[in-house]
Amino acid sequence: MSWPAILIAMLPEHLLLGGIVALLALEIANERCPGAFALALVATAAAAIAAFCLHVTGYAAAPFPGHYAVAPSASLAKFLLLAFAVPVLLLSRDEFSQSRYFALLLSSLYGACLLVSSASFLTLFLGLEIMSLPVYALVLIAFQRPDSAEAALKYLVLGGTATATFLLGTSFLYGACGTLGIDAFARALGTADPLAATGAALIVAALFLKAAVVPLHAWAPDAYEAASVPVTAYMAVIVKAGVLLAALQLFGSAPVPPAAAALIALLPLASMLWGNIAAIRQASFRRMIAYSSIAHAGYLYFAFLGAGPGRYQTIMFYLAAYGVMTLLAFTALPGAGDDAAQDRLQSFEGLFHRRPYAALAIAASMLSLAGLPPLPGFVAKFLVFRNVVAGGHTAWAVLGLLASYLGLYFYLRVIQLMFMQSPANQPQPTHARRLAWVAAVCCLLPAIAIAIAPGWLLDRL
Amino acid sequence: MSDAALLNALLWLPVAGLLGLALLPRDREVGVRRLTFAVTLVQLILAGWLLVRFDGALPGLQFATRLPWIRAWGVGYHIGLDGLNVLLVALTAFLGPLVVAGAVPAVRRDVKLFHAMLLFIQFAMLGTLIAQDLFLFYVFWEAMLIPMFLIIGIWGGERRIYATLKFVLYTAFGSILMLAALIYLVYSLPQTGDLPSFAFEYLYRHTPSAGVQRWLFAAFAVSFAIKVPIVPLHTWLPDAHVEAPTAGSVILAGVLLKMGTYGFMKLGIPLFPAAAWYFTPAIMTLAVISILYGACLALVQTDIKKIIAYSSISHLGYVMLGLASVSVLGIQGAIIQMVSHGLVAGGLFLMIGMVYERCHTRELSDYGGLARLLPVYSVFFMILTLASIGLPTTSGFTGEFMVLMGAFDTAWPQFQQGHAAPLVLSASAVLGVVLGAWYMLWFAQRFLFGAPRAPHQPLADLGRREQWILAAIVAAVFAIGLYPQPLLRKTEQAARQYQALLLGGAAQDVRR
Repeated sequence: MSWPAILIAMLPEHLLLGGIVALLALEIANERCPGAFALALVATAAAAIAAFCLHVTGYAAAPFPGHYAVAPSASLAKFLLLAFAVPVLLLSRDEFSQSRYFALLLSSLYGACLLVSSASFLTLFLGLEIMSLPVYALVLIAFQRPDSAEAALKYLVLGGTATATFLLGTSFLYGACGTLGIDAFARALGTADPLAATGAALIVAALFLKAAVVPLHAWAPDAYEAASVPVTAYMAVIVKAGVLLAALQLFGSAPVPPAAAALIALLPLASMLWGNIAAIRQASFRRMIAYSSIAHAGYLYFAFLGAGPGRYQTIMFYLAAYGVMTLLAFTALPGAGDDAAQDRLQSFEGLFHRRPYAALAIAASMLSLAGLPPLPGFVAKFLVFRNVVAGGHTAWAVLGLLASYLGLYFYLRVIQLMFMQSPANQPQPTHARRLAWVAAVCCLLPAIAIAIAPGWLLDRL
Repeated sequence: MSDAALLNALLWLPVAGLLGLALLPRDREVGVRRLTFAVTLVQLILAGWLLVRFDGALPGLQFATRLPWIRAWGVGYHIGLDGLNVLLVALTAFLGPLVVAGAVPAVRRDVKLFHAMLLFIQFAMLGTLIAQDLFLFYVFWEAMLIPMFLIIGIWGGERRIYATLKFVLYTAFGSILMLAALIYLVYSLPQTGDLPSFAFEYLYRHTPSAGVQRWLFAAFAVSFAIKVPIVPLHTWLPDAHVEAPTAGSVILAGVLLKMGTYGFMKLGIPLFPAAAWYFTPAIMTLAVISILYGACLALVQTDIKKIIAYSSISHLGYVMLGLASVSVLGIQGAIIQMVSHGLVAGGLFLMIGMVYERCHTRELSDYGGLARLLPVYSVFFMILTLASIGLPTTSGFTGEFMVLMGAFDTAWPQFQQGHAAPLVLSASAVLGVVLGAWYMLWFAQRFLFGAPRAPHQPLADLGRREQWILAAIVAAVFAIGLYPQPLLRKTEQAARQYQALLLGGAAQDVRR
């Protein structure tokens, strides 16, 4: 262990930590803390830049051998997570000003960063927990509705279950393999040893729960609906990305053995089907996005059916496209009187006539999530199914594509509400949301770049 | 500028127009209309120039551009003209300015968005036609969906939302199957090259084994058959046509439906020749059913838009019959029939839009004796009606006659060998011509003749703008009807190549 290596390798984490400490100090010093937002933004942006520099320079080190390692691919994943946090922070400005909100958000980000660099189950567990625990509080912190507390509790309890399952699986694996290194997982997937296989299955189940895969998804719609807009965006994009990147750490690039393939394919397929079907009936935008994200968790886990470097590429590309377009929808959400009114899909009626650019942005986001070309979501979907086919699972790919077809309807319904209905007659008070526009541009530019030159991004993954 | 650059300009002009529209303020409706019209007019000039420059005697692509797009997957920006698409590109560009000019009065809400969608769909349609890379083709193919969804859904009639969702969900279902098949085609088959490639040329040369071909062809064929549409996958079409605004109907009938037949011609059949040969009897049967069933349904409609909608199903059945005939005459006839139907059905939908603007009803029983009320209108309507029937000297005759000749050309030798089915099918298709004359003439009789009757009288006859639009269409209809030779020369070489490919596929199927 050398100090310079620790300093440089963990630079993004250190910058976040500095931000967190400063925010907490600010909280103690001044209840009203005016600079909290700027501080959090600067810390996150600096961490993102640091991660990007580490990636570009190809920096690789293992400051804590066997526990924490930095590779260019991990740095890129970190950059992705941190870059997603920037629009989320910009969105938060209107709803939150307390520094404790930002401290919690940055702590969760810290956990996500730890997650993608972890080389042992201990660090992975720490990362998962540090990422998740602040989110339980973040769901509650808005407390704009009576059911926020209930949703947060539900989330907490199910999150705790995932934690317990994960720990149980880890201990099984440790018992079977005698190591806490994460490469034990890939070996355990293929073995006939019941202890190791059970351990691996429990870990997969925990990751499914954290990413809201059917049938372990029930917490997501409630939590997404109860949280405020920026927190929902955070959960839908960054927490989901963190969990998937953790899964990517575990699975590596080794092919999934046939016995495990059924598990990896079946539940995500159910997730796509149920997510896409249940989303049709939703009247709340955030609930709809929750079901959409359940379906997208399905596509993401589907990508694990393919092996080799294509898996990393697919997950990263998918997360980039999915994250950017989901965030775009959140940044363009119409402001309304109270939180519940803003959330109702009804408030989208005739949006095009009131705020055409917001409507166009949301439409682009919906079409991309539905996977229609020429939007980024199409190339992402194509990558996933290409990987599945190349992995030799053609039948699963066809089923998955048919499940993705079911999703088209509810995305189109949003567009139908915005463009084809006459504007609702209710008075429409609108917040001043200047920063939301900055956030929208932050999402739009990469989205356009991905749509025009997907090959450029793919070559760099 | 080289001709390849002109083809690129033709494709990308609408995008430039879209950016221009974005800069215009929303209330500058006149500016929006003028800009859109100017873009489509320049496209027409470019397409006309390319059509003239296109040398039908040369095999292969002309004015081609090849650029890498997603290098890792072997996806390229690969466009070009060949004998199969050159006439359809010209048709698309020809209808563009007419649609923009013809849609003027009907659209009063969200004028800017409407014109943006027209440009967008023009871009997507041209892209689909000239793409020479499967991935690129798919991107454009799907991109056509979004503007049409909005055109029907925003500016359509009363049941527009039902109609537009039905249209999109039908078409997207086919697209999903096509996506699955194309991923399998490119990634699951042993590739001889070092890199997979989506280029058509490459895929034509590397066909999968005959057993696999059947599955993949079935997936592509369902996708294209929904678009054509072939009976029994046609039920979205009447709804979409009836509810769409005039411009939407014209684009739908004029170009969009041809994408299905073009897909069969450009992809379905040449990518999977053995399977296409295997399925030829089924395609022929369905084509003849489409001809007869569409005609019978057109006969009993009371909504004037539905009559033309069902007649489209019938007329596109001829195109499919021509493609399935595997004779040079039939294939060329299919292409001419596509162009002819685009002109005639597009023109008829425009005319129905014109009368709807005046009378606000599509119920046939509300009309009568328009020949007295709108004499100029009636003359144009009668010409297009006769072209739709396929009267000699009109484009409809050239197309249908060549298709039927081609079908009999193939069927007669088979009959002599003891296979009666192709001959019976071809003969039944002739019956479709008779039915076509019946429903169109009966329609014209009730619509144009008899006691004058129409809501919202007195009616103003066609204005100068409307006369110019229709005159352009009628001129094209007669040009193809009287002297099709120049157009046939553009397609002959391609049709021969195409026939050779299919016969090669037949050999492969027999070998199995």
